[in-house]
This record gives sequence, C-alpha cells and structure tokens, in this order.
Amino acid sequence: MPGTRQLSASFRDPGGFLFTDHGILYRQINRAYAQDYARLVDSGLYDKLVKAGLLIPHVEVDQAPAVADAAFKVIQPERVPFISYPYEWSFSQLKDAALATLSIQKRSLKLDMSLKDASAYNIQFVRGRATLIDTLSFEVYKEGEPWVAYRQFCQHFLAPLALMAYSDVRLSQLLRVYIDGVPLDLACNLLPAKTKLNFGLLTHLHIHAGAQKQYADKVIVPRKGGMSRQALTGLIESLESTVKKLTWKPAGTEWGDYYENTNYTDSAFEHKRQLVKEWSAEKQPALIWDLGGNTGVFSREAALAGGFTVSFDIDPAAVEQNYRTAKTKKEQNILPLVLDLTNPSPALGWDNGERDSFNARGPADMALALAVVHHLAISNNVPLPQLATFFAARCKWLVIEFVPKSDSQVQKLLTSREDIFCSYTREGFEAAFSGRFAIHKSEAVRDSERMLYLMEVK
Amino acid sequence: MHFTPLPYLDPGSGSFIIQIAIAALLGLGVALRASWSKIKKVFGVKPRSEDEESDSDDARH
Repeated sequence: MPGTRQLSASFRDPGGFLFTDHGILYRQINRAYAQDYARLVDSGLYDKLVKAGLLIPHVEVDQAPAVADAAFKVIQPERVPFISYPYEWSFSQLKDAALATLSIQKRSLKLDMSLKDASAYNIQFVRGRATLIDTLSFEVYKEGEPWVAYRQFCQHFLAPLALMAYSDVRLSQLLRVYIDGVPLDLACNLLPAKTKLNFGLLTHLHIHAGAQKQYADKVIVPRKGGMSRQALTGLIESLESTVKKLTWKPAGTEWGDYYENTNYTDSAFEHKRQLVKEWSAEKQPALIWDLGGNTGVFSREAALAGGFTVSFDIDPAAVEQNYRTAKTKKEQNILPLVLDLTNPSPALGWDNGERDSFNARGPADMALALAVVHHLAISNNVPLPQLATFFAARCKWLVIEFVPKSDSQVQKLLTSREDIFCSYTREGFEAAFSGRFAIHKSEAVRDSERMLYLMEVK
Repeated sequence: MHFTPLPYLDPGSGSFIIQIAIAALLGLGVALRASWSKIKKVFGVKPRSEDEESDSDDARH
C-alpha cells in the first residue's frame, strides 16, 4: 500500500509487525495471533499491566492493514519518545528491565498467559520506567510447558548483569556484538570462579552453559507436561532473587564528585546553567540530546522547558548516577544513556536493519555540546569543519561551548600529544561552525575563558 | 573423533533440559513454602500478603 512502510525490527514474529503510515506508528496483528490477543485483553492482563506501567498502552484503530490477507486488527501503540538499546543502558537500567520482564511474567502466569520472548530489546524506558513495548509477546499458557524464553532471559539479562557486577561494567558492550544476548559459555569463561558459590548464578549460568554444551548436538523431543506450574513459579522467583542480589558500584569513584574535578568556579557553573535554561525555554525543543551529559545537571536545566531529554555520556558511572537521580526524583522526561561519541552505536542485526544507529535516531530539536568540543577536536583529532558537519546533521538548534587552548583542562589534554591544532582558536571555531550554522547568540561564560553559543542549522 | 560443525549445534536442547531439572528443584521450595504457610495458618499466624502490586515495586519508580 502506498505511504505505508513495514519496520524492519519486527520481521521475525508471525503474530504481527510494526508499520508506519504518514509518520504514525501502527502494529498489525495477524489472524495467527488473534486468540492470544483476545486472551490478553479479555483476561484483564492488558489493563493490569498498563495500569502498573509495565506495558505500552495502545488503541485499536480503523487503519487499513499493511498486509491485508493476514490481518486481524490494527492497533496504534503509544509512541516511545526515544528508542534505546541495552548496550546503551547503565547497570541499573538493565537490572530494572530484567525485573520488569520477570514481573510481567509473574502477573501473566496468574492469568494463564506467559511471555514467549524475554528480549531486552522489547523493553524501553517510558515515563522513566522499564516498559514492555511488544504487545504481541504473550501467549496462552499451556499447563506443563516450560518457559520458552528462559534461555533468552539468561542471555539478554542475567549473563550481562552478572558480568557487569562481577567482572567489568564495560562488558555490557558484548550485547553490541551478540544481538541475541551474551552466549552463556562465553559469560562463564569471563566470570570469576566465586560466582559458582552463588546458587542462582551457578544454576542459571554455569550449569545451564554446561548443559547447552553437553546436549548441543542432540535432538530433544519435548515431553508434554514435563514442568508443573509450581516448578515454573519457582524458576521465575529464583531468577528474580538472583537478579535482585546483583549490584554494581563503581570502584574508586566517589558518588557526586564529577563536578568537583572541574576547573571553573561556582559562578561560571551557575552562569552556564542559567544560559542553558534560558535558551531551552526560548526555543521550546521537543527532543533534546545532551551530548556529553555527565550526571545530567545541564540536561535537567534543558528539560525544564518540557522537552524529552536524552542525556548521553561515555562514562557508565556517570550514567548510572544520572539514572539513579532520575529514578529517585521520579523524573519522566530524562533518559540517561551510555554512548561514545567518537564511536556511536551502529546499525545492527539482519541486513543492518534491526537496531538503528545513533545517527538514524535523530535529528533532535536541540543538542547540547557542553565541555565536549575539546575532547573531540584534540583527543580524537576531528577537524573543526567536520565537527560542525556532524552536529549540523544531529540537531536543529545547537548549544555549544568552546573551551580555548589556554584552559587548564585543554592543557591537560595537550601534555601527552603534539600541538598540531593551530586552527583550534575561538576565531577558527566560529569560522568552521558558521559554514553550517547561523550563530544567534554568543556569551562569554562568567569568570572563565569559555564561550557559549546558540546556533541554528542552516 | 566425533565432530559436529558449529552451525548445526543448538544450545536450545540443553537449555530445555536444564530448565526442567532446575525448576523441579525450585518448585519444591515453592511447595514447601505453601505448606509452611498452611501450618502457620492452623496456629493463627497470618500469611504475608502477596498481592499483585507488590511484585513490581523493584522495577517501578
């Protein structure tokens, strides 16, 4: 049908798929899924999960289906403000996504339904909460059947969480390589031996991986009714208590000292806050990207204007703290994410179409690039005109800070490398960015050598 | 030597078998807990409330 476009992330499910029509997102439900969908709604499970904020709400609409001969219904789900992926989440975000999945499974079993997927990609952060976005993940529970998503849960959640907690928090990046979750044998090779003393990790990871290896080349014919409901409940509860016990706190980092290691004064800091707040209020951006957002201090100033703010940072500890702050304050329009701007998330999966790249998820209405240009221009050697091109493709409005060479933070970066950055001056910066942006405002940050600009893409 | 090429190895079978074994063990725990609360009930001890809302609190803000 003209104008409609099937989304490539949902091609696997015979139950239905996502499509857009004139920019509106719909989900076609196929006749093959009609019985499960009816049970989801009629049992009251849909209402219960939506009320608890665990499932994305939708409305049934009169939209023409994208593939008419298979269609049962078309629904319009609430749109998620920004799609993020598990390799961009901090430890607690992945943990909350895991606990949300198990909570949904427990509630489903009470109403004779079960999750057929436990994919971390089915969870998104909506109004600050881990929320299931795949309405077609449920099936009618058949007495005696094991949990079909058990292996997926262990690979998508338990293995990466255990690796982050016991080995290194950066191992969450394995999820970027293994799109169906971390292979359990790999996780077990990387985990310290002491994890075998943890009953949950011993059974669900170590013994599980051993069984996979032992039976890998054998065909198993499932025995009907092999697993009681009580056993299934025990399994889910065991996964839940194992996940709950996993914790991570960055070693050697004092919470809250991020802004104490800067070289500028309180008055410079306050001035910057005030300018970010003022300019965001003036431009009213609906989607803001804070690139290099640290623990989110300036993201929060920008978010006061009411827009949805994604706060990206390379440091998983800063993102963890940002998420904990958002959770404590019950903030609904801040999403902290881990991102290396010098190597942002690529397009992944089948045909490079299952997970969107960072670039493809833009542009934002406004981007903040505070105290970040010197890292990109000097540490990562990106020429200023290329930086301007990069930012021009990411946003309409840009709030950007120029940190001159004389600044002690830049001097620190230059101690270990030859100064080949002769165009890295205020004039060079303005000339390079003027090629792509109209500079609307430029303010010297009080009590500092830094400049803050408000620019609009040309 | 027996050798199966990598593309034909499926970790699903092992996951299936081990899930049933682990769950049988864990199910015993659930059964014991249920019996224990019945015994306590006989002696007038109120069971801990396990209402629907409580199991989502950790994932919730």
